[in-house]
Amino acid sequence: MPDDIADVYRSTYPALVRFLYRKVWDAERAEDLAQEAFARALVHRPENTRGWLFVVAANMARDEARRAAREKRHLTLLKSEPDAVRSAPEDEIDADTQRTRVRAVLDLLTPRDREALLLWDAGMSYDEIAAQTGLARGAIGTTLARARRRLVEAYDAGLEGGQHVARG
Amino acid sequence: MQDWKEGNMSHVDEGTLHAYLDGELPSDERTALEAHLGQCATCRQTLTEQRVLLERASALLGSTRPLERPAPPFEQLRRAPQRSPWHVRMPFAWAASIAVALGIGYLFRSPEQLTPNAALTPPAGPVALRERAKASPVRQRQSARADKVVRSEGTASTDSYIGPQSRVRDVGAVAMNSSQLRNATPAAAEPAPSVIVSGAPALGAVRRMPVTTQWPVISRGTAASLLGADPVGLPGLSTRRIQRNPTGDGTVVVEQTLDSATVIQIFQRPATALASTDSSAAFTPRMLFDERDRAARERAPARLDRLARFVGRLRVEIAGPLSLDSLNRLLEQVEPLP
Repeated sequence: MPDDIADVYRSTYPALVRFLYRKVWDAERAEDLAQEAFARALVHRPENTRGWLFVVAANMARDEARRAAREKRHLTLLKSEPDAVRSAPEDEIDADTQRTRVRAVLDLLTPRDREALLLWDAGMSYDEIAAQTGLARGAIGTTLARARRRLVEAYDAGLEGGQHVARG
Repeated sequence: MQDWKEGNMSHVDEGTLHAYLDGELPSDERTALEAHLGQCATCRQTLTEQRVLLERASALLGSTRPLERPAPPFEQLRRAPQRSPWHVRMPFAWAASIAVALGIGYLFRSPEQLTPNAALTPPAGPVALRERAKASPVRQRQSARADKVVRSEGTASTDSYIGPQSRVRDVGAVAMNSSQLRNATPAAAEPAPSVIVSGAPALGAVRRMPVTTQWPVISRGTAASLLGADPVGLPGLSTRRIQRNPTGDGTVVVEQTLDSATVIQIFQRPATALASTDSSAAFTPRMLFDERDRAARERAPARLDRLARFVGRLRVEIAGPLSLDSLNRLLEQVEPLP
């Protein structure tokens, strides 16, 4: 039903953008992909729109990441340029640094743990996360507990051992 | 499921505690868990630790939130999955508006007063019209031009909504008939009239008012968030569509069908947005409902100061192919749509 999709759009769009952003790390790209996912939903009219959207979004993000990786390789070949050289206000640097750290730490999680964490953060219920990831519902709490612990521990470890990373 | 009751030596696992903290533990398990927590200091301690962990993890993730921008209108998505198509259309809307303003200026130019140069002052279209109405009260032959005017009026209205400097009273370029023009005495055009003093003649002949064809169609929810309040309209009439001003000035138009051939447009925007863009201070509820105005209106029913009013915190204007009296009556019935 298009009307249902319109409702889902209103309620879920920001969460889907957020979910995608944590995968592609580009706000505009995340918006594009989210809109693309909804546009596809209009064509496919899935039964469970919300769940379907996140599956499609995850797939699109994966393709996107592959493409980005390819492009990055090309760019690296073309010019070896440190990519952190730009001027920005202190606050922005701090926010950027923070984001970069969390991003790096998220990348350390297993795909399953990361997916569960991002889906939960996107507002999905345990049932929805279970349906999405194929995990048993009873395992979601454990998965999230592990993901959260690893996220925090890795972040703290990075802070202690990695000052030079942020500075240099 | 699990039994954490008194005497059971096992402690609650982290996963269960997280499910509990996430509010995702089934109620029977939750009851059992809470009973156990009442007995087991170790698990209470673990729960506290896990809560801290959970909150830290959320905060870390939260620091990577993208800037949240409002979702583009759903209907736009339908038409064009690629993002922000209206950004592309904007220049055309402007161009069309200016062209139409030129056209209107030309159509309404007063042969005895206007030089071709005067007619070529584009943004002054509606304003110039008002001035002329003041200066030459008798303008009888407007109806002959009604068709042309009406065809172009839509974008004229867009124009008046588009410019950040445009005054809302100019919006009414859309909605005045020849009798108003005739009756537009100098008194009617006194400084800062409450509303809208200009417009196209013989609107009664119009079947439908394609006034805002360039405006993106939006959902009711989007309208509500733009307006900061429920959009308003006429209860009982079906809403054909809701659109927003592509300039993002907060103006929303609700189009409702009176019957199969008659569309009423209800323009609305937050009064606060108005205050920030309109320095004329012309639009206050007091003025709109001023008894003196009422009396004046009875003497000169063509006065347009009832074409706008405030509903809650929204300033609302109405337009449609109806007599002013009808529009006024309809406007009085406008209320937040359920």
